[in-house]
Amino acid sequence: MINITLKVNGEERALSLPATRTLLAALRNDMKLTGSKNACNQGVCGACTVLLDGVPVNACLVLAANVAGREIVTIEGLGEGGKLSPMQQAFVDAGAIQCGFCMSGMIVSATAFLAENPKPSRKEIRQALSGNLCRCSGYVRVIDAVELAAGRSGA
Amino acid sequence: MIIEEEFAVDAALAHVWQCIRDPGFVAPCVPGCQDVEDIGDGAYRAAVKVGIGPIKTTFNLDIEVLEETPPTFARVETRGQEGTNASRLTAKSELTLTASGNDATHVHYKSDVQVVGRLAKFGLGIMKKKAKALGAEFAENFRNAAEA
Amino acid sequence: MEFHQPTTLDDALTLLAADPEALPLAGGATLVAMLNAELIEPSALVSLGGICELHTIEATPEGGLRLGAMLSHATLASEARLTGGNAVMRQAAAQIAHPAVRNIGTLGGAVAHGDPSSDLPAALVAADAVIEVAGPSGRRSIAAEGFFEDYLTTALEEGEMVAAVILPPQPESAVGHYEKFARVHGDYATLSVAVVLAMASGKCSHVRIALGAAGATPVRVVAAEARLIGSSLDAGAISEAAALLTAASDPVDDVRGSADYRLMLVPRLLTRALAAAGGAP
Repeated sequence: MINITLKVNGEERALSLPATRTLLAALRNDMKLTGSKNACNQGVCGACTVLLDGVPVNACLVLAANVAGREIVTIEGLGEGGKLSPMQQAFVDAGAIQCGFCMSGMIVSATAFLAENPKPSRKEIRQALSGNLCRCSGYVRVIDAVELAAGRSGA
Repeated sequence: MIIEEEFAVDAALAHVWQCIRDPGFVAPCVPGCQDVEDIGDGAYRAAVKVGIGPIKTTFNLDIEVLEETPPTFARVETRGQEGTNASRLTAKSELTLTASGNDATHVHYKSDVQVVGRLAKFGLGIMKKKAKALGAEFAENFRNAAEA
Repeated sequence: MEFHQPTTLDDALTLLAADPEALPLAGGATLVAMLNAELIEPSALVSLGGICELHTIEATPEGGLRLGAMLSHATLASEARLTGGNAVMRQAAAQIAHPAVRNIGTLGGAVAHGDPSSDLPAALVAADAVIEVAGPSGRRSIAAEGFFEDYLTTALEEGEMVAAVILPPQPESAVGHYEKFARVHGDYATLSVAVVLAMASGKCSHVRIALGAAGATPVRVVAAEARLIGSSLDAGAISEAAALLTAASDPVDDVRGSADYRLMLVPRLLTRALAAAGGAP
């Protein structure tokens, strides 16, 4: 077992885990932060996307022991004071959520993308979210939601 | 997946048949074959080590000759698994020898290979190429040994 | 499984030398995926993340660039010094998988994995890159063209790892282009063409071409390039060069396309790649 600390959603977390434990498994099983979803476990679906030092990564492709001391933000950490983040609110308002399984990954990816590119085209949004699969195939309103969030932040 | 190969050996049909039905002769020709045991009634056990880059495994195989027409035809079934049973393999193979002149033999084999389990996640495309490369290596080894 | 986090390359090499079943862990984009799929069971991982020298980019005295093995694909994709002929590397890195994967995956990891359907190997061969390898008996340099030996098999010997990639200075007017054809954005290539091209007075003065996903290694054919050099990149010359490349290709049949389909893509993507690199008539 390896002892590490991670800063997760602003909070220091001390963990003791085996070297093979992914960041995703550590978040879900050790820290009970189940918003990040486990689907493919291969870096293909994006449902586990979290921010690592501010950039989106697939938590299933990161070993927890390899990111000791670093800062993680999950879907649970996007909103503040019990309020949804602007991107979360935009997803709700645009009706972008169907079964919801891919949503935390979509919203984390979209949040990081908009921070980098505040006025994206629809094509840029599609490319930015290309690593987030929705098996309900409800992509149109997801893109609408990101556009809505971009429009609101620009207003 | 179907693996089909053929190769020529500069040796008489009877000699090639004798070689191919002798596990002690065939085993060293099979790339990665670690040991082979004759358990009688046309059945054999073998361990074969295979790998692609960092992905390595050993298959424990049970090989059974279901039907044969010496010195030209054999039908063989191979079943195997990794030590941990994480992947399983079955292969149904047919081997046909044809004399081409007095001192040359044409060897043809066709295998229908199925792999299930963890190694099946790896993608059939590369696995088929790897099987073909191993087949070519076997043919080369067998030809050299049988012609010696 | 043991987990080591050395802070110097020498310490990493000592750890790797001590245990033949240990694997170096770069970004993990492929290695962790293989661990999750139970395809590999290393006895130990030697994490390279804490080794500063692997994260650097520096100009070489010859006018090229030395890229540390731990640079992420995202870093390469936005590296302003990858211009001219070496832009082929920037473009290839920018088309690897998706943003989240590009933030994890590294140059050295992709090189050491040696997957011919991944994007960087073909770009490295087209750019005539040199792979700097560190091992128990010191450092050695291997041309990218000879580095990739088979599916997931490279010239790396036991205990060795990729330390850096050295890109040479490209010809003055060279333009690099990476043309990738994939089923959907971010997938592995069905086929790709990496090209570094220079034109002088309407004639091709320099060209290097490597195909990705066309065989067990990146496919380069010197005779195909020779057919293009001195030509105006007319349809006839391109078609003959494409025929030579096609003949040297041996792609797999899989969900991304049959072998025949991939071969049919060779002339089409070569034409596009050369046009995009400034060879359009």
